[in-house]
Amino acid sequence: MSDISRRKFLQTTSASALLFFSGLNNTQAAAAPKAYPSKKIGNIKNLKPNEPLAFNYPDEQSPCLLVKVDNETIGGVGPQKNVVSFSTLCTHMGCPLTYSKGRLVCKCHYSMFDVSRNGQTFQGLASQWVAQIVLRMDAATGNIYAEGVEGLIYGRIGNLKLS
Amino acid sequence: MSLFKRKDSLPIPPLDAEKYTTVCQYCSAGCGYNVFVWPEKRSGTAKSNAFQVDLSQQSQLLSGFSYTETMHNVITRKNGNRYNLAIIPAKESRINKGNYSIRGGTNALTAYTPTGQTKDRLKDPLLRKENGFVAISWDDAVEIIATVTKSSIDKYGADSIAMKFYDHGSSGLGFEDNWGAGKLFLSGIQTHYLSIHNRPAYNSEVWGSRERGMHELNYDVDDARLADTIVLWGANAYEGATVFFTEHMMPNLQGGSVEEKQKEFDAGEPAEEGRIIIIDPRKNATITVSQEINAERVLHLRPNLGTDWILANALARIAWENKWYDNDYLQKRTDMVTFEAYKSKSLQLAKSLDAVLAEAEKITGISRKEMEEAAGWIAKPKTGGFKRRTLTLYEKGIIWNMKNYDQVAAIAQLNVLTSNVGRPGTGCGRLGGHQEGYVRPGAPTPGSIYAGGPPKNVDNYITGGGGKIYWVGATDPYLSTPNSKFFKKSVKKRATNLLDYLDNGGIPSDPKAYIAKVLEAFEKTDGLFMIVQDIYRTHTSEDAMLILPAAGWGEAVDTSINCHSRLLRIYDKFLDAPGEALPDWKILALVGNKLKALYEAEGNKVMAERFGGMEWKTDAEVFEAGSHEFGDNKAAEIDEAKLSAECFKGVTHEMLRKLGNEGIQTPVRQDPASGKLIGTKRRYKYSFASKDGLFKWYGTDAWTGYPAEVAKYVDNPTYPFWFTTGRSQHVWQTMYNDKRIPEKLLTLPLPYLEIHPDDAARLNLKTGEMAEVFNEEGSCLALVYVNDATKPGLVFGLMYHAKGTMNNLTSSYTDPKTTIPWYKGTKVAVKKYTGKLDDAIKTVSLLSNNDFTTG
Repeated sequence: MSDISRRKFLQTTSASALLFFSGLNNTQAAAAPKAYPSKKIGNIKNLKPNEPLAFNYPDEQSPCLLVKVDNETIGGVGPQKNVVSFSTLCTHMGCPLTYSKGRLVCKCHYSMFDVSRNGQTFQGLASQWVAQIVLRMDAATGNIYAEGVEGLIYGRIGNLKLS
Repeated sequence: MSLFKRKDSLPIPPLDAEKYTTVCQYCSAGCGYNVFVWPEKRSGTAKSNAFQVDLSQQSQLLSGFSYTETMHNVITRKNGNRYNLAIIPAKESRINKGNYSIRGGTNALTAYTPTGQTKDRLKDPLLRKENGFVAISWDDAVEIIATVTKSSIDKYGADSIAMKFYDHGSSGLGFEDNWGAGKLFLSGIQTHYLSIHNRPAYNSEVWGSRERGMHELNYDVDDARLADTIVLWGANAYEGATVFFTEHMMPNLQGGSVEEKQKEFDAGEPAEEGRIIIIDPRKNATITVSQEINAERVLHLRPNLGTDWILANALARIAWENKWYDNDYLQKRTDMVTFEAYKSKSLQLAKSLDAVLAEAEKITGISRKEMEEAAGWIAKPKTGGFKRRTLTLYEKGIIWNMKNYDQVAAIAQLNVLTSNVGRPGTGCGRLGGHQEGYVRPGAPTPGSIYAGGPPKNVDNYITGGGGKIYWVGATDPYLSTPNSKFFKKSVKKRATNLLDYLDNGGIPSDPKAYIAKVLEAFEKTDGLFMIVQDIYRTHTSEDAMLILPAAGWGEAVDTSINCHSRLLRIYDKFLDAPGEALPDWKILALVGNKLKALYEAEGNKVMAERFGGMEWKTDAEVFEAGSHEFGDNKAAEIDEAKLSAECFKGVTHEMLRKLGNEGIQTPVRQDPASGKLIGTKRRYKYSFASKDGLFKWYGTDAWTGYPAEVAKYVDNPTYPFWFTTGRSQHVWQTMYNDKRIPEKLLTLPLPYLEIHPDDAARLNLKTGEMAEVFNEEGSCLALVYVNDATKPGLVFGLMYHAKGTMNNLTSSYTDPKTTIPWYKGTKVAVKKYTGKLDDAIKTVSLLSNNDFTTG
């Protein structure tokens, strides 16, 4: 994308997404943990269908979302296996992904990822499927924990701190 | 949880990693890539690495540096050692500026690895025996081919040899391989039964433009950013030439190129965000993405199948009526003698505007209002009287339409009538599919019926029992040729007849005895000796007698040009070809040199000479040898139109290696003043490519309905749906690479059909179910997507897929003027499939790929 259209893109992007970019200036080495932490990111009782919850994982430089969709998913938790979580950095060139109608949409080049089907790029330019967050739900409390990442987070040489 | 193994870190190339420049192996965009190779056990660091990027920093969005899971692989070289391979988009390329598509982003995954998903690459020449194929030596393979070919020429004539080969660049091919094929088949064998990869004959798909004096690649990527209006006509740019669309057209629609326009345009000329007209029967992703960006500046016209040239002529008539043309330009730059035929037949000036447009409305299904709006966007002068700048790009929806010649000619003429060629922001030509790399000795059929044609239909020749040897190179006609079921059935029968004869008493192991028996079979049966030369086994190769292993992309030094700037670059060698696989040109040279030796041995100097000039040792030598075909390229800038579009005379591999991603734009001319080699950014500023430099007009045919092969269906209620085909963004051609890449196969596991919700409801069909699509030509079982991409009464199918081809359904009709097939239109029935659904549907995405809306 040329510089000019990039500016235009940024003008038209939602403010909430921009907050995430501004956080990405820190060095990855300083931020990334050595192993995937177990992090409580929500509770199934508080999730409303198709209303995603934003969080960062495995560190503060990696925006993600948790969403309850209408159907069973690959890798989903909960009684209906319909709660899934993904990185919200487009794997194509790092733009923010917006959740809508069961998919993540990138407004830079219009890649779209199916959250029910393993984050596959069903349309667009991203040759890598979006990174999916490994979830665990505590059946007793309904708490949902992020416990790993499958796939590379955009812009990194590794999801975790390089050894 | 993942459907296939994912990575969460990638190796880092050390500072001294091997570095090469190349160009993507896929589409016409030709994105630049940088290749890094380093021993598997070695690593650079975040701060010090061959990428010259600080990897301790997380990449910013749109920074132009992307290194993803799909851009890395581990290869084994012939020395037995393992190496990391990273193939990443080149930020310094002005074509892609670090951007890449879902195809190019997986270039690294296509590299040959002995234990990975490409392990089934062809490694040895294979000869068909009683129970399948057995490996043989190159010496034996070459002896068999050359001796059988020679005997066949001597006994039955050169036309007993037929071929179907690529004529293009990219896909692991280039000028080198094309020159090799040209020398063997055109100079040496001299058969008339030549055909080009995707079609039944040896022809240009755009003689309708070339015979006007306008080569189809006459613009630059910059023109897509400078145009006031972009017209995409039967050209799904977002999905087919993805980076060209997203990097050059999209910024224009967003208003991101206004400053560039202000610099290039005339003083006082209005410069604003661009408009786009998309002419396509289907509401494809190019349209819906454009609408997402700026719906008010998108016009979508959906003509009835086969009627586009009537629409182009109607738009031209509106422009004429409004005097949206420059009479001075027409007088000076175009041939006013042939213009009379254009005025009478295409513009139909003897009829009133109302009568012409009423008829056009009826034929095309496009309203007069839409036509007037489109004509205005194309041709109406801007405020201040400045000429509008319109870039018109057409592709398979036009060239593979009914009446190929007239369709292309009508669009070319609309653009020249409105002065939309040769200025910044203008141009008229192909969007392209693959890249190009054509250099061959003169073809036996130089043009359409108006210029020495039409060329012979090789499919009809082969299926009708003609020919003895059929050599297929880097194409899979069982999937890709029109009316493919009939073709496959006919070839299989003839191949089986040959095999049965050879098998009677056992297939001889000794090459000489084998050759003798093949020649006997030629006498006694209609047997066809098919040779398939490719990188993998193909659907067609199951009926070959010999399979030859070719080197792929990155396994030989190749050169090609892209379509959107004619940018010539080097595609360097960074991989070892598997086993005994050889570059195409080398295989062809081995056979040519053997034929030469066989004719010399019997003292036939005339024939031996025909096979001379193939004694090349290196890729660079073949490139240089081919360049002489272009003749003298000493020319001043104003004479560029006299040069062949792909002329690279004087350019060497060494020079291209130094130029890297910058490349040089063809035609390359030797400047008479400076003696330097200079590329050509944009064509036809001064004159056209005809003898007198004037654009030659042509009066197109009137509408006379559909050809018999399709007309039989028109009022037949058994086949209620119009049917058209196209491609998916994900996969390249027959999926020869992509079916081995999990990301691709999981997302596109089956051939698919798009159907309108109204029609689907009537057939009780839902997304995710399967249906049989069929007509009298053939059938295909497909995964169903119900969406609004098609109109009621029209269904769309993926053209071909590794698991089934919709070309079974297309007719055998070709344009009598050019022998180009109408792949894109016929009629079919659709029947719901009630068997068990394919397991792949459990993991495939069933979401609509033309809906980008959020919220």
